[in-house]
Amino acid sequence: MAPKSKEKPKTPTSSQPPPAIEDLFTTLDRHIQRSEYEQAVKVADQVLSIAPADEDAIRCKVVALVKDDKIDDALSLIHSFHKLPIDLGFQKAYCLYRQNKLDEAFECLRGRERDSETLLLEAQILYRLGKTDACVDVYRKLQNSQIETAEVNFVASLVSAGKASQVKGALESW
Amino acid sequence: FPPAFQSIPRNPIVLDLAYNCIEFPVLEERMKKGRGGFMSRFFR
Repeated sequence: MAPKSKEKPKTPTSSQPPPAIEDLFTTLDRHIQRSEYEQAVKVADQVLSIAPADEDAIRCKVVALVKDDKIDDALSLIHSFHKLPIDLGFQKAYCLYRQNKLDEAFECLRGRERDSETLLLEAQILYRLGKTDACVDVYRKLQNSQIETAEVNFVASLVSAGKASQVKGALESW
Repeated sequence: FPPAFQSIPRNPIVLDLAYNCIEFPVLEERMKKGRGGFMSRFFR
């Protein structure tokens, strides 16, 4: 089949000035709203070519890569920015978890504020490590945090910890 | 025949809830605004 011949690339020619950063962020936001993560990465790169340490652009790029399932790329990007004062510790821990580097992921969470996102990830790591009793304890801490469907994981941890008899009571008090 | 149904244990379901915590930053302040953008022609 012949390739489409009338496709015009929309990239600006090099003689034009670079687009303003706020225009790029407007485009970036639109891609994010539409879940166009590959495009979002490209626009974030455009911002970074103008402002190499822009925290929002860096965060957008990392998150877009994760959402696009490019965990390896996200992790190497996080490594490349490790000298900047931008806290990407949670994202790093999550990527390590996805790569099944569970001890490293757990280590990465150490010393962080134990907010609900940290606790959720910690519980998931403990579950995979087979430390089901510790996992149950973490979900108990999350019991009042109103996280949607967290009780599903709580039940899983109870069952895996051999505490299936507690499931009914636990769900009633969730 | 047929044999009676029997219940069997299955592996419990675990959801990746940490994934939902990976969120984009709020870009509201970084975007172009109030300068006659495309959409503002419709909302004026």
